[in-house]
Amino acid sequence: MRQLAISTEGLTKNYGPTAAVQELNLHVPCGTIYGFLGRNGAGKTTTIKMLLGLARPTSGSARVLGMDTAPDRIAILQRTAFVSEKKTLYPLLTPKELVRFSRGFYPTWDDTAVEKYSQLLEIPMTQRFDRLSNGNQTKVFLLLALAQGADLLILDEPTAALDPLTADEFLRVLAGSAMERGCTVFFSSHRLEEVERIAEFVGVMDRGRLLLESRLDDIKSEFRLIIAVGNSLPLHTSSQVLSVVTDGDCCRYLVTHAAEGFAAQLARNGATVTQITSLGLREIFLHLVRKELPCISGNAGATLVGSSSSS
Amino acid sequence: MYLWKCWRDTRWFFFVFLAIAALPMPMAAFASHGGIARYAGSFAFQNTFVTIVTAAAYALATICAIQEFTDKTAHFLFTKPRSRGYFVWASWIVGFTELLIVAAVNLLVGWRVLAHYGVSAFTEAAAQDVSPRNFVEAVVYACFAYALTFALTAILRNGLKGLGASLGMMAGMIGVAAALQMRWKVDLPLPPQQIGHLPIALSECLWVIVALLFVCVAQVVVERAEI
Repeated sequence: MRQLAISTEGLTKNYGPTAAVQELNLHVPCGTIYGFLGRNGAGKTTTIKMLLGLARPTSGSARVLGMDTAPDRIAILQRTAFVSEKKTLYPLLTPKELVRFSRGFYPTWDDTAVEKYSQLLEIPMTQRFDRLSNGNQTKVFLLLALAQGADLLILDEPTAALDPLTADEFLRVLAGSAMERGCTVFFSSHRLEEVERIAEFVGVMDRGRLLLESRLDDIKSEFRLIIAVGNSLPLHTSSQVLSVVTDGDCCRYLVTHAAEGFAAQLARNGATVTQITSLGLREIFLHLVRKELPCISGNAGATLVGSSSSS
Repeated sequence: MYLWKCWRDTRWFFFVFLAIAALPMPMAAFASHGGIARYAGSFAFQNTFVTIVTAAAYALATICAIQEFTDKTAHFLFTKPRSRGYFVWASWIVGFTELLIVAAVNLLVGWRVLAHYGVSAFTEAAAQDVSPRNFVEAVVYACFAYALTFALTAILRNGLKGLGASLGMMAGMIGVAAALQMRWKVDLPLPPQQIGHLPIALSECLWVIVALLFVCVAQVVVERAEI
């Protein structure tokens, strides 16, 4: 079984009466690219803040690179690069000066990486940060993160303000660098196509809860949507049934594995199974987080990480 | 490297205050052919010194803290592998050093200009108000104001709010002291006044310690702050 770069256990964060993150059990294997999906306000940024020691958990614990986030914060930050959701840096400093500033914090700093990525990303290194375009400002963040020589890259909606071309370039460099150096990448996004393109693992979060965590390939090959009509259909979730959406007598089950067996079981109980379809990440995401119909979702996907990575 | 960045952020304000500390006195003395130096000399010098170091204290404190601890950039700084206490004290030290340099330059320039026209910078027979102690008190007051403004700006993570709160607290302390005196005839010492019957030197040291306590409080608050 792979070692985990990030793991959380019952991680919870409340802001007054609002539960931003609830009982989060996250498992990010080392050396993988993990896409952390969710709508705006799902709790992704709060989770990332807790991982980096920018926010204190209300309860639960988190381990990053095998270290406890609270006592080992500085040791974690030594080996972790972070690209924040807010792409704001010191406005008067140039990227060259920001490199000079950041270099002193990290013994693993790589000046050749600065040279390589500044050319690759075409960053104007001598222009003041506040005079750079949004795209170039984000690229500066990526440059600083990549040059740090970190074992773990945490990126919070890195492409949110980028045009498709720049976002594409950004992801290409990110994925290439991660593959080259074997580091772990944990990035949050609400752009499904980006996650689908580069991620190996996916976590879907909504309203503070992790609804799904799985290997992307498993989602494509195993996950099925089963639509059944009948009376007294089962409405509970399990490790096999990730969510159930009801609409009158009709139920839509999101099944993680052995869909045919589950459909046969429904049929034995008198239900009419009208459809069994394979799903893409987009359909699964929409199915899990949509609000029009009552949806019962469980944190069932966490079970998949161990089994997938050990196989 | 962080000290370099703090210097990089504040240097223009420092240069402006340095120019204000160094240039007006010799220019005024030269323009008046020494008249100002001979007739208003040490008294004017003392007042300008107090004004300059006080203004520099408030401005540098705000600038030092605002660059580091505002919401916009705190996430970047506080994900660097150093304790937040380090950032608070390093930033404070850079600004404080600049403040002391401004004070020292103003003092040296004033002393040199007045000496050129045969006037003593620190004593004047006609004006009882002029004494070396006033210069020390001005520096202690500047230190107090600098630390309070820096601490409040760091805690509130907003330059205007920090500066406003600091000025408000200073004014509030004067108001409270006046009210106590009027109502109960109690003398509440204000920085940099003598505290009770303590020796003056010890009083000034205590005011500096109180100022440093403000920074300690800011450190604790910043360390516990959620970004």
